[in-house]
Amino acid sequence: MSQAQNQAMNTKTVNGVTIDDTFAEAFGMSGTGIIITADTMKWARIAAVTATGFGTSVIGCGAECGIDRELSPDETPDGRPGVRVLMFGFSPDALIPQVKNRIGQCVLTSPGSACFNGLEADLKIGLGQGPRFFGDGHQTAKKLGNSRYWRVPVMDGEFVIEETCSVTTEAVGGGNLLIIGKDRAGLLETTEAAVEAIAKVNDVITPFPGGIVRSGSKVGSKYKGMFASTNEAFCPTLRGSVKSELGPGTIAVFEIVIDGLTSKAVADAMRVGLKAITDIGTAKGVTRVSAGNYGGKLGQHHYHLKDLLS
Amino acid sequence: MSGLTFRLKANPGERLNIAGLTPSKLAKLSSSEFARLKIGMGKASITVGDAFDVSGTAGDTITIEGTGAPLDFAGAGLDGGTLRINGDVGPYAGRKMSGGMLEILGNAGNYLGSGMSGGTIHVKGSGGDNLGGVLSGDRFGMAGGTIVVGGNIGVRAGDKMRRGTVIVKGKTGDGAGTRMMGGTIWAEGGFGPAPGFMMRRGSLIGPSVERLLPTFADCGVHDLLIVRILARHLKQALGPLAPPPMPFNVRKIAGDMAIIGKGEILLPA
Repeated sequence: MSQAQNQAMNTKTVNGVTIDDTFAEAFGMSGTGIIITADTMKWARIAAVTATGFGTSVIGCGAECGIDRELSPDETPDGRPGVRVLMFGFSPDALIPQVKNRIGQCVLTSPGSACFNGLEADLKIGLGQGPRFFGDGHQTAKKLGNSRYWRVPVMDGEFVIEETCSVTTEAVGGGNLLIIGKDRAGLLETTEAAVEAIAKVNDVITPFPGGIVRSGSKVGSKYKGMFASTNEAFCPTLRGSVKSELGPGTIAVFEIVIDGLTSKAVADAMRVGLKAITDIGTAKGVTRVSAGNYGGKLGQHHYHLKDLLS
Repeated sequence: MSGLTFRLKANPGERLNIAGLTPSKLAKLSSSEFARLKIGMGKASITVGDAFDVSGTAGDTITIEGTGAPLDFAGAGLDGGTLRINGDVGPYAGRKMSGGMLEILGNAGNYLGSGMSGGTIHVKGSGGDNLGGVLSGDRFGMAGGTIVVGGNIGVRAGDKMRRGTVIVKGKTGDGAGTRMMGGTIWAEGGFGPAPGFMMRRGSLIGPSVERLLPTFADCGVHDLLIVRILARHLKQALGPLAPPPMPFNVRKIAGDMAIIGKGEILLPA
């Protein structure tokens, strides 16, 4: 009996969509939150999108990054529109160069921007400690309460950046949903709806392009030096030639990967994503939802789909 | 909220050093022990019990009533809780204070908050000279925390001040921010003559300056984000005691250019 058939025996069906009796396996990570503000939301978003670019997978990009949410002027330290971005890495030390380079190259350079800590936690890493040296000795600092703000003279005035940002080691990376169906365009629309629903959950990001992955991976490869390679069990075009996880009629699979500052945030995000998918049901070609895991032996966090059906 | 109240019995005829009267210090003593604390600064060796009637139980608040006597070092070393003085205090109030709240309902003497590193001092009346300033033997003046003065203050406020914030509802005397090395003095009534003499860093914010030193350079009118951040921080920390926000555009005057010139005077544009 194939694994797909085996799973089929233990599945649930919601609004016509089969929900596999399986779980997403996720890993402990370090995460930080950073607030980026600007004169307008447009420019705050531009700085945030640039700073979180090339931040899909920690393996190849050094960090997994994305926009958590937009902030109203009442929610930011300088009373301007802002965006909270999250960055995740293997460890606090691994986040240090990522934060320094992304903020230094993408936020310092963006018109009218300022940058602040966006997370309350005891552990701190440098935020403005590197970029402040761009001031070449003309930078000055102002300590207010427990925060020190650096003022770096730039061509449109001053770039203000908080000296440190907080890091949590309780973050989780790799929560996921696999959305499987028989119509690629409709499947993509359904998955987009799930990503939009997840975007409303605080403290999580979906770091891949548009929040969606079309190249689910397995650990290792037949080639030396490749840490990950295509997960052939979920490739529809191989389903007749390899040990496949896909049933007949499957045309495409999309994955949503979720990183969060807490395990609860990841679970909440998976729950609302799953609900968004099952609310649409089979109308756009979705047939099944599954999740990626490594047999439960590698990741500390397991999110069973059956527990997330609200 | 528990606390002790000290009522002055009569004018003791000499200055009293009340540095030991803080919640954390008295919490370690029995009532008989702190009644024996010597606070007189003359030959009479006046004790707490000689000078004050004490009521209440030790807790996080101390109130001193009926201050006909010169009280020096009020709240010196305060590290938490509240010390409220219903009257005037002499010099060195809040000296080396690191936390808590010192409320002075009257006026304060010289060197208010010298060497303080944290906490808040609120003086309803006026302050003396060298507010937040350096004392002989110290390396810096005020190094953190917040002082709010309801009236005017004397000369050389913030001498060698390193960090922290001073809010003056009235006007400063001569030479505010002399030798200042950091922090902020925000004078809602404006600055007296020659502010920022030999100032290295720090910010002096207010509506006017009586006379600028010639070693200060006009850098033009700018929308400085740090002023907005400061205003929001103060509003959050001080509530109604916070100064009204400055206009978005301020004139930055850098100085003292006789030395490194990284300080600034910020005036409305």
